[in-house]
Amino acid sequence: MTPSATLRSGPSYWWRSYLAILRWDLTGLRMVLPITVLVLSLAGAGFVLAVDLFFGQVPDKAALYVCTGVLVVTLVTIGMVLAPQLIAQQKIEKTYDFLWSLPVPRTTAAFSWVTTNLVISLPAMALALAVAMLRYDLPLHLTPMLLPAVLLVVFTGTMIGYGLAHAVSQPMVTIAISQVLIFLIIGFSPINFPADQLPGWLASVHQWLPFAPMADVIRASITVGVVPDVARSYLVLGAWAAASVTLTAVVLGRRK
Amino acid sequence: MTALALREPRSGPRYWLHSYGAMLRFDFTGSREWLPAFLLVQTLMGAGMAIIYGFYLGRMTTPVATFVATGAPTLSIIPLGMALLPSLVSSHKLEGTYDFVLSLPVPRMTGALSSLTVFTLLSVPGFAIALAVANWRYDIDLHVSMAIIPAVALASLMATSVGYGLGHAIANPQITNLVTNLIIFLVLMFSPIAFPIQNFPGWLASAHRVLPFWHMANVIRGALTNGLVPNVARSYEVLGLWTVGSWALVAWTMGRRR
Repeated sequence: MTPSATLRSGPSYWWRSYLAILRWDLTGLRMVLPITVLVLSLAGAGFVLAVDLFFGQVPDKAALYVCTGVLVVTLVTIGMVLAPQLIAQQKIEKTYDFLWSLPVPRTTAAFSWVTTNLVISLPAMALALAVAMLRYDLPLHLTPMLLPAVLLVVFTGTMIGYGLAHAVSQPMVTIAISQVLIFLIIGFSPINFPADQLPGWLASVHQWLPFAPMADVIRASITVGVVPDVARSYLVLGAWAAASVTLTAVVLGRRK
Repeated sequence: MTALALREPRSGPRYWLHSYGAMLRFDFTGSREWLPAFLLVQTLMGAGMAIIYGFYLGRMTTPVATFVATGAPTLSIIPLGMALLPSLVSSHKLEGTYDFVLSLPVPRMTGALSSLTVFTLLSVPGFAIALAVANWRYDIDLHVSMAIIPAVALASLMATSVGYGLGHAIANPQITNLVTNLIIFLVLMFSPIAFPIQNFPGWLASAHRVLPFWHMANVIRGALTNGLVPNVARSYEVLGLWTVGSWALVAWTMGRRR
């Protein structure tokens, strides 16, 4: 056989590579994909229901914050917590080096990964939102801004996790960082509760971290008058997205 | 010479005690591998949750704060026995250590007792840290009575026994992993440990009168406060039943010929 002489560049080559890698990602995860979607959905919906038990009689404001914050948690958990662990696992098993030897543009791998994360987290987010609307009488107003907000949150969350997993060479360190991240997201970030319930210094730190802006852009797109300044949140989040893309590009572009 | 030592009888209280000591050393030495990572998880679950629940609840009245502060130490006990121990047993099964330990010339009961001893003792530091952090954060008046010793001992022994039973009884490590994650989820979100059982819908409250989690919180809260827990004796009974039941399960799985 003579090797094919098609051009390895151009948009159509990129698109075909993207689809091939996406198929690779989804096929590789086919055993765990349904269970992951299920667990994430149950965790999201469970969180919405559990807050009632925390309070006894849950105040309207608290319910609104948890129900909108849980959407962010379901959107970023896979990208920031599970994905770094998966990539760390690939490094241990050496699948990692094999993947980079494939004749596809490296950006397709990143975009395919964002798509995969979207596929996993969207059903969970939708279920959490549905349960929240059924369970509590919330003043929610879904606007079209939900779409860019969800895309930006998933993109940024996934790319931060992705950049982290690629940049840290020790798999065990990656796993440890991602474990701490989940505690940070659920427990120490103004996602599920207002920032003024955090100590002042921590609330200030969160103005520059990506978590609070993530919650802000999602909340602003489905509520009225809860988030005062959403433009700043988009800016901070955009900066994090750009930074994590740059980090990933530098790490992946490097010769080994 | 060693040949003589081999002829010593492999029975009797002296042999038993000697075996128990050897197994204790074996288990403590093995724990060095996972102890640091584990202490982190235990601290996060206990002390961390004490702080996190506070963020969720915002400004709290004293009774609510008291519940959170006296519930958090209980939370620190649970992951040790009910999540780490079963996954340790199942990873021993994967690595073949399980069969190796069973092949050691010691009475099988000493191996089980040594694991229970080690894990029951290891829960103490995490418990103390959680209690100290919760106390510092919420600044409430605790009345620590001597009952704290049997309360922590029994709660921890019960958690360890149930976890040990789970690890032995479930053959597939992946199912063990699933069950332990489910327990953590259930404990953190749907258990009346840091919140009064009155907040729970009737069916869930009834389930928790049979499950051990609420009773663990009860005996510990009973030893830390005055008059907040009405019927501690009943909780001690339920915990005792869970402990003995788990031992029966372990005895049955270990005694089986394979």
